[in-house]
Amino acid sequence: MSKTWIVMKNMLKIHYSRAGNNNSQIILLSIAGIFLFPFLFFYLGLINNAVSGLYELLEPFGQSSVIIGLLFLLLTALLFIISFVLVISSFYFAEDINSFIPLPIQPYQILLGKATVPLLYLYVTTFAIYFPVLFYFGSNSNASIVYYLLGIILFVFLPFIPFVLAAIFVMFIMRFVNIAKNKDRSKVLGGIFVLLMIILLNVVVRLNANPDEMMENFAQFIQEKDGLLQMITAAYPPALIGSKALTVAGWESLLYFLLMISISIGFIFLFIIVGQKLYLGGVLGINVGNKKNISSERLHKKLRKHPVWLSYLQKELRIIFRTPTFFMQCVVQSLFGPIFLVIILMMDSNFNSLSGTLDQFSYKQQILILFAATLFILSANATGISSISREGKSWHTNLFLPLDLKQVFLSKIAAGWTINLVSILLIAIGLIVVLDISWLLFSLWLALSFVASWFTSLMGTYLDFSHPKLHWTDEQEVFKARLIGFLALLFEFVPLGIIVVIIWNTPFVQGGIVTFVLLLLLMFIATALVHYLLQKKISNKDYQKII
Amino acid sequence: MIEIKDVSKDFAGKKRAIDSLNLTIPDGKIVGFLGPNGAGKSTTIKMMTGILPIDDGSITLNGHDIEKQPLQAKKIFGYVPDQPDMFLRLRGIEYLNFIGDIFDIPVDIRKEQIETLTETFNIHDALGDYIQTYSHGMRQKIIVTGVLLHDPDIWILDEPLTGLDPKSAYMLKEMMREHANKGNTVFFSSHGLEVVEQLCDEVAIIHNGKLLFYGTLDEMRKTYQSDQSLEHVFLELTNDE
Ligand SMILES: Nc1ncnc2c1ncn2[C@@H]1O[C@H](COP(=O)(O)OP(=O)(O)OP(=O)(O)O)[C@@H](O)[C@H]1O
Ligand SMILES: [Mg+2]
Repeated sequence: MSKTWIVMKNMLKIHYSRAGNNNSQIILLSIAGIFLFPFLFFYLGLINNAVSGLYELLEPFGQSSVIIGLLFLLLTALLFIISFVLVISSFYFAEDINSFIPLPIQPYQILLGKATVPLLYLYVTTFAIYFPVLFYFGSNSNASIVYYLLGIILFVFLPFIPFVLAAIFVMFIMRFVNIAKNKDRSKVLGGIFVLLMIILLNVVVRLNANPDEMMENFAQFIQEKDGLLQMITAAYPPALIGSKALTVAGWESLLYFLLMISISIGFIFLFIIVGQKLYLGGVLGINVGNKKNISSERLHKKLRKHPVWLSYLQKELRIIFRTPTFFMQCVVQSLFGPIFLVIILMMDSNFNSLSGTLDQFSYKQQILILFAATLFILSANATGISSISREGKSWHTNLFLPLDLKQVFLSKIAAGWTINLVSILLIAIGLIVVLDISWLLFSLWLALSFVASWFTSLMGTYLDFSHPKLHWTDEQEVFKARLIGFLALLFEFVPLGIIVVIIWNTPFVQGGIVTFVLLLLLMFIATALVHYLLQKKISNKDYQKII
Repeated sequence: MIEIKDVSKDFAGKKRAIDSLNLTIPDGKIVGFLGPNGAGKSTTIKMMTGILPIDDGSITLNGHDIEKQPLQAKKIFGYVPDQPDMFLRLRGIEYLNFIGDIFDIPVDIRKEQIETLTETFNIHDALGDYIQTYSHGMRQKIIVTGVLLHDPDIWILDEPLTGLDPKSAYMLKEMMREHANKGNTVFFSSHGLEVVEQLCDEVAIIHNGKLLFYGTLDEMRKTYQSDQSLEHVFLELTNDE
């Protein structure tokens, strides 16, 4: 057990190690904190209102337990989905495992080590959602000290079941796709497959939710005490057991509590047993494969002359598309958002055409909405914010080769811009096929998107240049345990988002074209400003200082 | 010719990595750069190549100041770093083409050079593979090939022979000799004293960031009044007690 502990500790250390730059990290954290603080009160207030409201409504019918039931259900669903993504990245994309294989430790110990980082994220998520509801429900129902005690202990066990379910699912799929020789490709395929599964799961759940039938059942279940709870948790018994542990009185509650804990522990063992069988076989021997002999003629065809900026851009794109982690983070995950959104939109409208949905807004508002939504999606793209960090220990190649650093940066921004084209194409399809917008609006939107795409890539690159993470051993570290994604949203989306709100409410800005010109002008100013800042850092030779 | 004038370098929170180093490496000579681990060899080389900023002093390569005219200076040297792990996700041929684009080499010269160089180093068959699948020595060879491709005046090599098989090491040494004989500059760091003895016209010995000796091997024997091996003198010189 002590060895397991050591492995877990080291995994965390690898994950969170930062070389130098501690002060600036603290400053960034403080900025983030200041921005988040008002949100905290808002968030707590929101939960308080929701819980008290529901409680007053349901208590007279003896159905208040359904609040806790809902909490367990929704939390589990959320943890389940998060687990998918975390398990993939930690189990299959992080290659820190190679340093643990030679050590005299059991496979299950490595597995538990691997589970540490995802579980940590799950606990943070659980903490933020579970405790507020738990405490507000407790204070509304004047719960005893036992309620709080059991509630707090249950917190420890909550993430286990969704995590194990997701982990086993992912391990099965990865085992299946890993038959292929090319591990790089199979990792990417597996990753995409799991993301598709999440979308599919969502679709299935939504299709099965039949409002009419539910209303019928509702009338029936509301007759008996805790009937609602039983109804909603029918598909997922652990939620029922957990809720009962917290809402029934006396010894019975303790019984449910122990049952819940035993099930959770049972799942951990299941994880270890299944994992030992499926996991190591699937990840070991990571090779890139793809050895092939190319004839001299074909080699010579590859020798072509390009201008330096294009050659550099090509190099960037090749590296992104060939490195599974970069490909998943920069390309696939940025597509996930738009696709997810379109499918949910289409489901909610029962596949009826959504065309004309935008017609209820004025022309000016339509442009603002499209612009803000696009800017948000582009800000979430990880290509810009990893421009410098992706290089890792090879950053010095940019310095000893006779490259104009300004050109290097421009090519890197261009790489982000090029990858954004995929998102823009996807949104474009959505706009034309689903929303059926006019061609004029479409062209205005397209022009704005191209400029916004340059701006977000530029800003991301600038932010990454300010606080790069070059000393990584694993590509995952470029994206995880860094504030940069959040900062990107803060600096790329928030200021312009506020401006959009202001324009929306400014009566003397009228008409689509005026709004368009105004937005375009603002984007140009913002872009020029950041270019100026970037140039200052380049002239200051900051590129040598980040090594 | 490389001129290092009064160069110093500090790393935050450490003792001086390089302490007012003065060194002039002439044309037409192979100069070996010796020193124990952590002496400051790689740090010096990284300042020469523009990777690390120079805290004090200046470095010029054939008259071009690396800090004031970085582009001109970088065009005339080729550098083989001590860690050859770069551009791992590119195929060998793509890497060489990238170098060709950066140094603006005509395509027919690329073809010819790549063909002969990779045959010499025996990595021609691996050109279509990702550099990631290369062994340590193969990675070094592809980088050396990249350097030779643009035929720079000055060669700066950080432990170039570590990890090369005997034949490739021999080939590289021959090439270094040939390059120096044409009146060019070759500067390399090494831990292999026999190689230095056999190959170098002059040696520079650095210890704790300070230059201890610069000159030919004969001068060294004279200075330290020793007819013993370079190994002996080196151990004596760099002895801290
Ligand atoms: N990035 C860095 N940050 C802090 N200190 C550094 C850094 N790089 C090198 N040093 C320090 O500078 C000194 C010189 O290191 P350098 O790499 O130049 O040694 P070296 O002579 O190349 O050694 P070796 O023979 O092991 O390659 C060492 O004390 C080292 O710890
Ligand atoms: Mg060194």
